[in-house]
Amino acid sequence: MTNSIGEIRHADCLFVIGSNTSEAHPIIAMEMKRAVKRGATLIVADPRSVWMTTIADRHLKLNPGTDVWLLNAMANVIVTEELYDATFVAEHTEGFEAVAAAVQSYTPEEAEEVCGVPAEDIRWAARTYATTRYAGIYYTLGITEHSHGTDNVYGLANLVLMTGHLGRRSSGMNPLRGQNNVQGANDAGASPVFYPGYQRVADPEARAKYEKAWGCELSPDEGMNLNVMMKQAGKSLKGMFIMGEDIVLSEPNVTMLEEGLNAMEFLVIQEIFLNETARFADVIFPAAAFAEKDGTFTNSERRVQLVRKAVEPPGQARADWEILVDLANACGADWRFDSAAEVYDEFVRDAPKFSGISHQRLDRDGGLQWPCPTEDHPGTMFLHEGRVLRGRGRLTPIAYRPSLELADETYPLVLSTGRTLYHYNAATQTRREPGLAVKQPEAWIEIHPRDARRRGISAGDWVAVSTRRGRVEVRAMLSRQVRKGCIWMPFHFAEARANLLTNDAGDPVTQTAEFKVCAAQVEKLRAHDGAELFPGSFYREDGPSTA
Amino acid sequence: MTIMPTKVFESDTVQTMTLDGVPVTFAQGETILEVAERHGKEIPTLCHDSRLDPMGACRTCLVEISGWRRLSPSCATKAEAGMEVETESDRIDRHRKGLLALYAADHPAEVAVTNGRPNELVAMIARYAAPTDWGHLESQRDDRPGDVNPYVGFDAEACIACARCVRYCDEVEAVSAISLANRGSYTTIATVDSLGLLDTTCEMCGGCIDVCPTGAMHEKMPLAALAKPEPDLEKVRTTCNYCGVGCQMDLNVDRDLNDGRGKVVKVTSPPPGTTTNDGNLCVKGRFAYEFLDSHERIMTPLVRSADGQLVDASWEEALRRAADGLRGVAERHGPDALGFISSSRCTVEENYLVQKMARAVFRTNNVHQCAAT
Repeated sequence: MTNSIGEIRHADCLFVIGSNTSEAHPIIAMEMKRAVKRGATLIVADPRSVWMTTIADRHLKLNPGTDVWLLNAMANVIVTEELYDATFVAEHTEGFEAVAAAVQSYTPEEAEEVCGVPAEDIRWAARTYATTRYAGIYYTLGITEHSHGTDNVYGLANLVLMTGHLGRRSSGMNPLRGQNNVQGANDAGASPVFYPGYQRVADPEARAKYEKAWGCELSPDEGMNLNVMMKQAGKSLKGMFIMGEDIVLSEPNVTMLEEGLNAMEFLVIQEIFLNETARFADVIFPAAAFAEKDGTFTNSERRVQLVRKAVEPPGQARADWEILVDLANACGADWRFDSAAEVYDEFVRDAPKFSGISHQRLDRDGGLQWPCPTEDHPGTMFLHEGRVLRGRGRLTPIAYRPSLELADETYPLVLSTGRTLYHYNAATQTRREPGLAVKQPEAWIEIHPRDARRRGISAGDWVAVSTRRGRVEVRAMLSRQVRKGCIWMPFHFAEARANLLTNDAGDPVTQTAEFKVCAAQVEKLRAHDGAELFPGSFYREDGPSTA
Repeated sequence: MTIMPTKVFESDTVQTMTLDGVPVTFAQGETILEVAERHGKEIPTLCHDSRLDPMGACRTCLVEISGWRRLSPSCATKAEAGMEVETESDRIDRHRKGLLALYAADHPAEVAVTNGRPNELVAMIARYAAPTDWGHLESQRDDRPGDVNPYVGFDAEACIACARCVRYCDEVEAVSAISLANRGSYTTIATVDSLGLLDTTCEMCGGCIDVCPTGAMHEKMPLAALAKPEPDLEKVRTTCNYCGVGCQMDLNVDRDLNDGRGKVVKVTSPPPGTTTNDGNLCVKGRFAYEFLDSHERIMTPLVRSADGQLVDASWEEALRRAADGLRGVAERHGPDALGFISSSRCTVEENYLVQKMARAVFRTNNVHQCAAT
């Protein structure tokens, strides 16, 4: 996030796209609700009628995978009606002319055809966003989990830069991070292209710095990213170490991945529960959970905060960092760390953006937002103040590319997957919580009543959902929350693994898989067996009650 | 920690008023209560919460304003330039004692200690030495005995109808699952058709429990029910382990349980205004911690035996097997035949160590985590 969570309540316009905020980030949603209550304009763009649409001024219910059209059409309106910030564009950006030319052909009228959103709504959204001073964009995986995810992000960045909604409180570009420490994992260098603190592996100076710091030679070649690793498992990749991720439940196209894992020579995992991936492991280390160890998590707004040990881990389980030190030493290293605080000190020593942060300071002052280069620096609430960090913000022309797999005769529906409020990812933790298991006990699929009727499906019936890659059985919920021709299912449930269905082909730059769009078919298996389907309070046949 | 103050952007015009005889400054839009709190004055409140619109219902925060005939609720009265405000006087004290005595009559001693929560009303009655012998009113509030939801209990007897919970549900969580119903001494906290919370729009955030001053809204969870009273638990401030918001929360630990290992029996939120989450938590943060003590946790290192089964092993053996296995792959196929998947669920420190292991011990940059998806 370029802004902070605390700034959201003061925003005057919120453009939320590809984010089911009230379910995936409930506390950020509270801030948005607060802004709306204060009088802010809320624009939600999402193929589903998610909860936030119930309080939105307008809902742009676009067809899945047509984001580039929508964003280019909004840019078209801003350019045509001269609503852009000419001064900001001239002083702080580059590439505006190219984008202005590229969006000429993306008229709102044609966008209406492609996206299924009325041209007037697109115009209204563009005008409102462009002409409100404190206007922020908020997005999550509905933007990135596409074969054109990078283009989607460029599309949003174009809007931010041409309107100059940057470097001010409550105005910026805000990806909401999905995991407690996605930000921190990247900050710490768990990346095939970056050393800690976003210093490039490909940069010889950075490599020399770390060769000196760690006293060894380092590989000059960028590594494989997660998606490539998943595809190379059992092929060029013969051994793997996995800490705290159930790849078999959370990665796409599982059938292929399982074949790859079977062909691997050696697999070590470090976990708190025996998960689906554990079936393939040669060695399993028992790890401590978050309440049983010290360390830090870094949240969406770049705030580093302490994790404190409250209880001892069960049995012989140990903190991940302790296991890692022992494993490295068993592999011939000579690491000496007596506490998580010492590890953090080593991390920030060569990562200047973080140098002012230490466990001691966090314990005393609470969380700190990086960049925080020195011990007396207060941290940074929002980025790009005064000037864009890279000098000039670059606008990038983008062209619409359809999603890789479109509905056809055999697979006439478009499947998207996502999270719910009551479970978390692979649900290894939340499904062990009896209360949540009562609130939302099983998987389901949302299907539009008309699509259901055509297939003879009634509410609660068992259906088979199939794609080119796999098939799962779930119960059907008839819902107008999804568009006609679209279906949606949560990915939390091991007995109905959405990722047997999803497409592992992805974005050409990031290789992020297209979790949000693949072609699917639904057929009825057997009638409703009487057990009530209980997907949680918000899901209803008619969608949001106030829409 | 730098959290943005609520009023900071609303106005930067500074004005002056008099508080207990001393001139003080305030910003346009601040209430008398907010000005008084900033200046260290103690004004009791029951229905007030900084996240909610003022309601002025409980009348405990009344102050005397020069030239105004009646006492005014400081939570709902905006500060004005030149205003002269007294927060303590005989008149206020008389009023407050009488008011608290009435509350006490509707709040019998046996419910005062219910549910292990600190009771703000009882503390206030003691603090202001209000009489407790004005008789006892039989409770006429409807309970919701059929509500089988797993988390939120409601004890009508302890309720004082301050409406903090229903306003929180309406204004902050914005799902409006509960509401005030009936009138007078029959006023209670109700749901549509007296449905159980599971059948309403309730999202189980537990905010109603958190804001309740008397423990009428309380945690039903078996862990919390068996626990010691909240003041006897050790609070450990930490960061939530679910989504990327980074809510701060207090793990309430009973050190005597789990053979001395300690047990998290409750999760509470830090006070509003002190952390990013402003006193709020969601259903997962507040309630989904029972996995910590699951008997399915992995308790010992495991290794794959010759016949393909996972068997218990010592730490020494498991570490040796892992080191031999990883080094064997590197020797046979080169370092880039190894992949390291770190975790956005684990700490910054642990991610640092995984990438350092991949790079410095095994000489490969094949290290990543789920940020790719």
